[in-house]
Amino acid sequence: MPDLLDSPDSGRGDRPLTAISVSRDPKGSAPPALPFGSRLTEEAAALPLLLCQRVSKWYGPVIGVNQVTLELRSGITGLVGSNGAGKSTLMRLITGQLRPDLGSIEIRGHDAWSTSARRHVGYCPELDSFYEEMSGRQFVEAMARLYGYPRREALDRAAFALERVGMAGRAERRVRGYSKGMRQRIKLAQALLHDPELMVLDEPLSGIDPVGRDEFVRLFGDLASMGKCLLISSHELEELEKLTDHLAIMAHGRIAAVGTVAQIRDRLDNHPLLIRIDVKRSSPGENDSENDERRRLAAGLLKLNDVVGVELLDARPEDAVDPVLVRARNPQRFFQELTRLVLEEWYEIARLETLDDSTSAVLGYLLSGRSA
Amino acid sequence: MVPDYNENEGERETVSLKTANRSLAVVSPLLPDSTSGLRAWFYLVWLSWRRQARSQQMVWIAVGLLLFSVSLVAIFTARGAWSMRYWRWPYRQGPTYMQWADEVQMLASLPDASAEGQGVQAALAASVRGIILYSGFPIFSHWIVFLLFLSFLVPLFNLSFATEALGGERESNSLIWLLSRPLPRPAIYLAKFAALLPWTIGLTLGGFVLLCLVGGQSGLLALRLYWPSVLAATLAFSSLFYFMGATFRRPAVAAIVYAFFLEVIFGNMPGYLKRISIGFYARCMMFDAAGDFGVQPERPEIFLPVDGATALAVLLGLTVLLLGIGTVAFSRAQYHEVV
Amino acid sequence: MGESLNRAATPELLHYRPWRGEFRTPAASIWPIARVALTSIFQKWMFWIIYILGLLIFLLFFFGQYLLSWAETQAGETDVQLGGWGRMNPRHLIALFRGFLKLDGSAESYRSFFAYQGYIVMIVLALAGSILIGNDLRFGSLPYYLSKPLSRWHYLLGKGLAVAVFINLMTTLPAIVLFAQWGVLESWEYLFERFDLLLGILGYGLVLTVTLTVLLLATATWLRRTVPLIMMWTTLFFFCRLLSAAMVDGLRFSPRWRLIDLWNSTSLIGAACLGLDLETIRPGNQPPWYEAALVLGGVSLLCLTYLIRRIRGVEIVR
Repeated sequence: MPDLLDSPDSGRGDRPLTAISVSRDPKGSAPPALPFGSRLTEEAAALPLLLCQRVSKWYGPVIGVNQVTLELRSGITGLVGSNGAGKSTLMRLITGQLRPDLGSIEIRGHDAWSTSARRHVGYCPELDSFYEEMSGRQFVEAMARLYGYPRREALDRAAFALERVGMAGRAERRVRGYSKGMRQRIKLAQALLHDPELMVLDEPLSGIDPVGRDEFVRLFGDLASMGKCLLISSHELEELEKLTDHLAIMAHGRIAAVGTVAQIRDRLDNHPLLIRIDVKRSSPGENDSENDERRRLAAGLLKLNDVVGVELLDARPEDAVDPVLVRARNPQRFFQELTRLVLEEWYEIARLETLDDSTSAVLGYLLSGRSA
Repeated sequence: MVPDYNENEGERETVSLKTANRSLAVVSPLLPDSTSGLRAWFYLVWLSWRRQARSQQMVWIAVGLLLFSVSLVAIFTARGAWSMRYWRWPYRQGPTYMQWADEVQMLASLPDASAEGQGVQAALAASVRGIILYSGFPIFSHWIVFLLFLSFLVPLFNLSFATEALGGERESNSLIWLLSRPLPRPAIYLAKFAALLPWTIGLTLGGFVLLCLVGGQSGLLALRLYWPSVLAATLAFSSLFYFMGATFRRPAVAAIVYAFFLEVIFGNMPGYLKRISIGFYARCMMFDAAGDFGVQPERPEIFLPVDGATALAVLLGLTVLLLGIGTVAFSRAQYHEVV
Repeated sequence: MGESLNRAATPELLHYRPWRGEFRTPAASIWPIARVALTSIFQKWMFWIIYILGLLIFLLFFFGQYLLSWAETQAGETDVQLGGWGRMNPRHLIALFRGFLKLDGSAESYRSFFAYQGYIVMIVLALAGSILIGNDLRFGSLPYYLSKPLSRWHYLLGKGLAVAVFINLMTTLPAIVLFAQWGVLESWEYLFERFDLLLGILGYGLVLTVTLTVLLLATATWLRRTVPLIMMWTTLFFFCRLLSAAMVDGLRFSPRWRLIDLWNSTSLIGAACLGLDLETIRPGNQPPWYEAALVLGGVSLLCLTYLIRRIRGVEIVR
C-alpha cells in the first residue's frame, strides 16, 4: 500500500476536522459513565469525539475493516469508497452495532459498544427498513420516546426534526408509501432527535433528488457550523466534495488516503504507480528482438515523461502473453499517454492491471470525480 | 421544501420552530435534558406490545384457531360428548354403555340370585353407572386439554408470538432502530419479553378459560385444576422460543422442530429422557392436580411423573434460566443481517 | 483482441453483441428454477439438521432390517428362555419381532415408514415454503423470474419441482432404498416377485408429491411470511391430526372425521397403492381410501383454483 496517509508524526495542527493519529497515548481509565440524559462533563468534553485505534473486523474469512485508525473532533468528514470497501462496516462499528475483532473504538472515551456511547451518536443507517405501519411522524416520535423523552417533549423534538429535514408537511402519511428520498429524510430526522455530538450518516444522499441534495448539503453545513461532528459516507466523490474538503477514501477495508481531494491527487501524482501490462505474444516466426511486441512497447513506454522504469517479466510458455511491469508517476497523465501509444502503435494488450489495489481504488475515485 | 432554518450566519445557533410552542436548537443543547431510561424502557414495552399486533395474519390465524377450537368444544358439550354414556360396544354398533349398565343392573334383580349376590351386583352396577356418568372430566382432560390444547395450541401460540418478537424484527431488519438507541441491550431483551407475555398468556390462558367455560362441568373443573400448569407452561415455552428468536436466523423453523418433533419424540421416550420436554412437566402438574379425579398417566411406571411442586419449580426455573441465557446472548450478539 | 483483429480497420473493440443463439422453449426454464430453489435450501444448515432428523427414522428401519437379518444368521437351533414365559425358537422370535416392528419387507413396512415420516416432512415443507415462494413474494424477487420469457406457470412448476424433490428425498427415495436393501438381505427374487411393492411405493410417493406440492404452493402464495405459513401448515397437519384422533378415538364420532387429517388421507391412498387392507391400518376405524382420495382431490382442486386466481393477480411492482 502506498504511503498515502500522513505519517503519524506529521502533525496536523492545521487540520482540525479529522486526523489520523496513531501516536496518541493510550488513555487511562474511561470517564465515568453519564447518567441517562446528563450533559457532558468538562473532562469528557476534552476527549476526542471519536477515536478508532487499529480497528479490524472480519466476516468469517472476509475482512470488512482492516487496521483502521481514525480520530474525529468536529466538522464534516466524508468517507468515500466503492461498494464493499468497508464504509458501512466501519460505521456500524462506530455506532456500536458491531464489535471490532481487533482494536478499539471510543466515543468521548466510552467503548462504542456501550450504552453511554450511543447517547453521543445519531445514526442514519443505510438500511431501508422502518416500522412500515406507522406514519413518518409516529415513527420519529417513537424513536424520540425510546430516548426516554416525555411524551410532550418527544412530540416537539419529532416535529422539529421533521421540519429540519423538510418532512413536516408529509409526515402524516404511512412510511410504507414513502419514496426513497422521503425515507432518507425520515432516517435523518430520527438521527437528529437527541441532539447528538456525532452524526454517523451512511449514504444519506442516496435516492435524494437534486433539490433535496442541495437542502441536505445546506443542512449538514449548518449542523457542522453548530459544532456537530458529521461522518458521512458515499460512493460518489463528487457528492462529498460539495460538503467537505476533508475526505477519507476506503478501499478493501483500509483507509487508503486522507486529506483534501487536491492533497490526495498531489500525493498520487508523486507516488509511483505499479502497473502490469500483458502484451499478446508475437507469433513464433516473428519472435526476434525487432518484432517482439513487448520490447517495442517497453521502448515506447520509456519515452513517456511519467514512466520511471520498465521491467520485462518472465512469461510462462503456456501463456500467450508477455508481461511488462511499469512504474509511473502522475497516473492520470500516464494513462492518457498510454492509451494514445497503444492506439497509435496497435499493441494488442490482453490485460492492464494496477498492482496496488488501494492506490487503484483512490485513483479510480479521483478519475471518476474529475471526469464527471 | 427548504428546511426552516435561519440563513443568517450570526444567528445559526438559535433556530426557531414554527410548529412547536417553544424554541429548540438542533435539537437544542440549551434545553435541560429530561430523558429517563425507565421511561424509555416502559415505552419500549408498550411499543413492542403494539407492534405484535401488526402481524395481522399471525394474530388472525391464532384467534381463528382458538375460536374454531372453542366452537368445536361448545358443539361437543351441547352433544354431551364428555361422557361415555353414548359410547357403544361393540364399537359404534352395539348398545350404549348406559344400556349395558342397565343390563347389568337387571341381572342383579334376577329372582334366583341370593340377597348378597344381588347386593354386590347392585353395587357393581352403581359403580359402573357412576364411572360412565362422571367420565366427562377425564375425557375432557385427555382429549381436549392434553391432546389439543397442551400438545398443539399452547406450543403454537407461544411459538408464533415469541419467535416473532425478536425474529420478526430481525427478519424485517427493523431491530437496528432499537439497537441504535441508548438502551442497554439486556433492557431491550427484557422489555420485548415483557411485551410478549400479554399476548401469549392472553391467548393460552385466555383461550383455556374460554375452552373450559364452554366445556360444561368438566371444563369448569379442568379450569380450576389446570390453569397454573397452563400458565407455567406458557412462561417456559415463551422464554424458550423467545430465546430462539434471539439466537437463530429462522427461529420459527427451529421452534417447530422443537415443539412438534423433539417434544413428541422426547415426550414419548421411556425413562428419564422425557424430562427435557416442557410438556412433560406441564402434564405432571396436571396429573398431580387432578389425581383425585381419576386423571393419571396411562402407565405411570413408564411415564415416571414428578410431583406437581417439582414440576412447577422446574418450569419456573427454566423460564428464569432461559431468560438469563437469552439476555446474555442478546447482549453479546452482533446481528449481521441488520447490517 | 482476437486473431481476427485487423490493424487497418477501424477499431471496433467495444461493440455489444446481441444474443445470436435460439431461445429454448419456456418449459426448459422449469428445471433451472427448481435447481436454484434447491440450491438455496441446501445452503441452509437448518435444512440439513431437519433432514438428518428425518433420516433418523430411515436409519431406524434400515439398520433394524439389517440387524434382524444379521441376528437370524447368528441364531442357533436351540430354544432360548424368554424370562419366565417359557422357551422359544430364536428364528421364530426374530420372525415375531420382524412382524411386530414392521421390519419384514412387507407392504406394511413401507406404509409405516411413510406414515412415520409425516412429522418431519411437514417441518421441511414449512421451511421450504417460506424460503422458496414466500421470500420471492415478500422481497420482490418474483419480477426477476417473470422478466424472462416464461409464464407464471413455469415459475410455479419450477418451484413445485423443487418441493417435489424435497418430498421424495424424505419419503420415496428412502423407501426404495429399504426395498432394495431387503432384496439384497433376503433374496434377489424378492425384487422381482414383489415388484408390485415398488410400484406401490412410487404410487404412494406420487400421491404425496402432487397433494403436498399443490397445497404448499397455495399456502405459501397466500401467507408469504414464515410464521403465518408455519401456523397454517401445522394447523393443517398437526392440529387436524390431533382433532381427528380426539373425535374418532376419544369422542367416538364417525371414522369419516379422520378425513380431516390430510396426512392420514394420503396414508390411506398409499396403503391402497401398496395393496393393504383397511383393517391392517393403525389407528383402526378408518374410512375407505376412495373417500380419502375424494377429499385430497377436492383440496388439491381448491388449491389449484386459488393459485390460478392468485397468480393472475400478482403485482410485479411492489
